[in-house]
Amino acid sequence: MGQKIIEYLDERVRIRALMSFLLNEPMPGGSRWAYIPGSMVLFVLIQQFITGMMLAFYYGGTPDHAWDSVNYIDHLTYQGVPVGRLIRGIHYWGSSIMVIAVGIHLLQVFLWGAYKRPREIMWLVGTVLLALTMTAAFSGYLLPWDERAYWGTIVGTNMIGLVPLVGEAIKDAIRGGVGLGALTLSHFFTIHTMILPTLFIILVMLHMVIFRRVGPAGPFSGTPEQNEATKDTFYPRQVLMDSLGMMGVFILILLLAVLRPPGLESVANPSNAAYSPTPAWYFDWIFQLLKMIRPEIVGVVGLPVLIAVVLIFLPFLDKKPVRSPFRRPFSVLSALTVLVSMLVLSLMAENGYKKLVDVDRAAMVQGQVVFNQSGCIGCHTVFEKGGKIGPDLSEEGLVGHSVHWLTVQFVNSKAHFPGSIMPDFTYLTKQQQYDLAMYISSLGRMGWPDPTKAQP
Amino acid sequence: MGEEVTYRVGIPVLGLRGETLGRLEKILFSESRHLVTGLVVRSLESLHMIPLEKVTSVSGTEIRTTLTEQDIRQSSVFDPTQYEEVPPWFFPPGHHIELGALVTIKPLDIREQGEEACRSRRAFMAKSVALLATAIGVSLVVPIGGYIMAAATTPVTDNWRNLGVKLQDLPLDEPVQESFRAVSVSGWMRVPEERSVWLIRHSGAADPWSESEDQKKNLDSPLEKNDSDPRLTVLSPICPHLGCEPQWHKGQKLFICPCHHSIYQLNGNRIGGPAPRPMDQLPVRIAPDGSISVIYEQFAIGIAAKVRLA
Ligand code: FES
Repeated sequence: MGQKIIEYLDERVRIRALMSFLLNEPMPGGSRWAYIPGSMVLFVLIQQFITGMMLAFYYGGTPDHAWDSVNYIDHLTYQGVPVGRLIRGIHYWGSSIMVIAVGIHLLQVFLWGAYKRPREIMWLVGTVLLALTMTAAFSGYLLPWDERAYWGTIVGTNMIGLVPLVGEAIKDAIRGGVGLGALTLSHFFTIHTMILPTLFIILVMLHMVIFRRVGPAGPFSGTPEQNEATKDTFYPRQVLMDSLGMMGVFILILLLAVLRPPGLESVANPSNAAYSPTPAWYFDWIFQLLKMIRPEIVGVVGLPVLIAVVLIFLPFLDKKPVRSPFRRPFSVLSALTVLVSMLVLSLMAENGYKKLVDVDRAAMVQGQVVFNQSGCIGCHTVFEKGGKIGPDLSEEGLVGHSVHWLTVQFVNSKAHFPGSIMPDFTYLTKQQQYDLAMYISSLGRMGWPDPTKAQP
Repeated sequence: MGEEVTYRVGIPVLGLRGETLGRLEKILFSESRHLVTGLVVRSLESLHMIPLEKVTSVSGTEIRTTLTEQDIRQSSVFDPTQYEEVPPWFFPPGHHIELGALVTIKPLDIREQGEEACRSRRAFMAKSVALLATAIGVSLVVPIGGYIMAAATTPVTDNWRNLGVKLQDLPLDEPVQESFRAVSVSGWMRVPEERSVWLIRHSGAADPWSESEDQKKNLDSPLEKNDSDPRLTVLSPICPHLGCEPQWHKGQKLFICPCHHSIYQLNGNRIGGPAPRPMDQLPVRIAPDGSISVIYEQFAIGIAAKVRLA
């Protein structure tokens, strides 16, 4: 049967010749594990396409529905399996893994000297693809329309606004107005789901076509004769290595999606001035660097320009044909310095952030019972239910109090607020205090009502 | 060699002094460098490989080289088992070669382990690739299937709705269309909407119309059978043919659907037209004070059975 189909197609579209053209590509010097990062990027990109389409199935791209629709996706279950959370988790973690994979791919190409003549154009296309990846990450960040998304985008777009002369205009064009609103969301949605995928498809194809025109660079050492003598075809050995790598990446993303599902903070609230936004981790180092560079404008304009200039001109400035990283100490050491500084800057940034408590979901459920039965709800409102004497606690989990702070607050609130009228809940057991602290820490961050179960 | 080169298999290869060393047999190609690197020359004794650097000119009738007969004898011998033919799309630009003449060295593993051993190794690798691809594909497609089905199979929740009318206020044996506000739920969206039902108050339990056609034909679900009342029939406004709304025609005392003229009697009995079943009766509860509550159920359209939409 399969043979017949192949015969049929071969007669009409010469499928055998096509397949052998695609698969029997010569790999100078043979297949290597070092060559898999590019395939990993492609794999994650395709996975992002598929899961992204799935998310768009149920997504509502307006400020009054976006959050609800994401919360709906989070609660979708089929036969008891939380499929919605899983699909969203794959897409969420896929974006982080994609950024990492792109970084590794870039580093490998750099270390192997594979950007050198005749592969300059392929490198340039790759640089554009890197920019697309970062834009995709940034534009996707807003779509859940929660506090983090909203405030992160406020800061991100304001940064664009700092660029002299054109910045203000570009910012307003992206936002679709002066402020962040319905048009911003639909602009970001369109950029994220229509413009970027189209550009991705075109440029990835271009990247691959150029790759096939110039061929793989092969190992950085060894004469052409040696590489020719030890060559291999792309299929099957390299394909198998790539597939194993993909399997590993896939399992990693699945594990992350299952064990650390993406959160959803409370719906974007433009009047919540107390919210302190944090960027996605891959922008941490830029965030930290911008804090150090004064005046600010130098960093905001200079940093991206510097990165772009270095990446774009690298293959045209570095014309020496020597490819081995051991014989290019200056290049390799500078790359290493950049890498280490990015790491250090990121760690510094992470340290500067307010740490939100890692919520233990089982304790959180218990804590809600404590909250409702031990009298808290008499004075405090949570999600429009409860008393009005104490402050509304609906977003208390975003404030960033530690478990210790919260426990002290329960049993002796005067320690924090001398004039507090809150009674000392000294009769709570240690376990109850902990559960309650977990519940309070979860407020505004998780545990949203299940819209699939709601009554009409 | 800037301009186009045409290699013609069989033409003589000449030595330094113009003597014939042999005839052109094959052209050697380096895939890694995408270059022609040498020629294979057939002399009287065997096949010789000569590097391209020794070639001074190539024409349609002869190839001139800087080699002597001595050099040819000492050059390495071409071993056809180590080389394979290159498909036409690999030809280097500007080279015209008669098909079957361009050869390249085989991958290392084939040369070392032999074609047979290598083929089975490669087949094994191909199977592993297929297995991995299937594993990833299935583990993505299965949750996606569930993800799509999850919304499709979200159960509809039942709700008794008090219509705000009392039984004693309804006219006898005369359908009344009663509308009420409801919320339609679609995923994360809830939209308020206007719905209506037909209420038919019967003159008495002995009234021949007091039992809806639905009930007589035993189409009703247990829910509808448990919650029915001989004093009142509640009919869905939706035509079971294709979903239009039949209207009550006072003069004829009939429900007539404007779309395809299905005709129903007072108790929903179908007496004409394309509808596959009577009008759908809905469950009803009547409180002691006469106030009426219903469940607004919806049923599959166009089939004889009364199947509730999940
Ligand atoms: S829809 Fe009523 S008769 Fe066709």
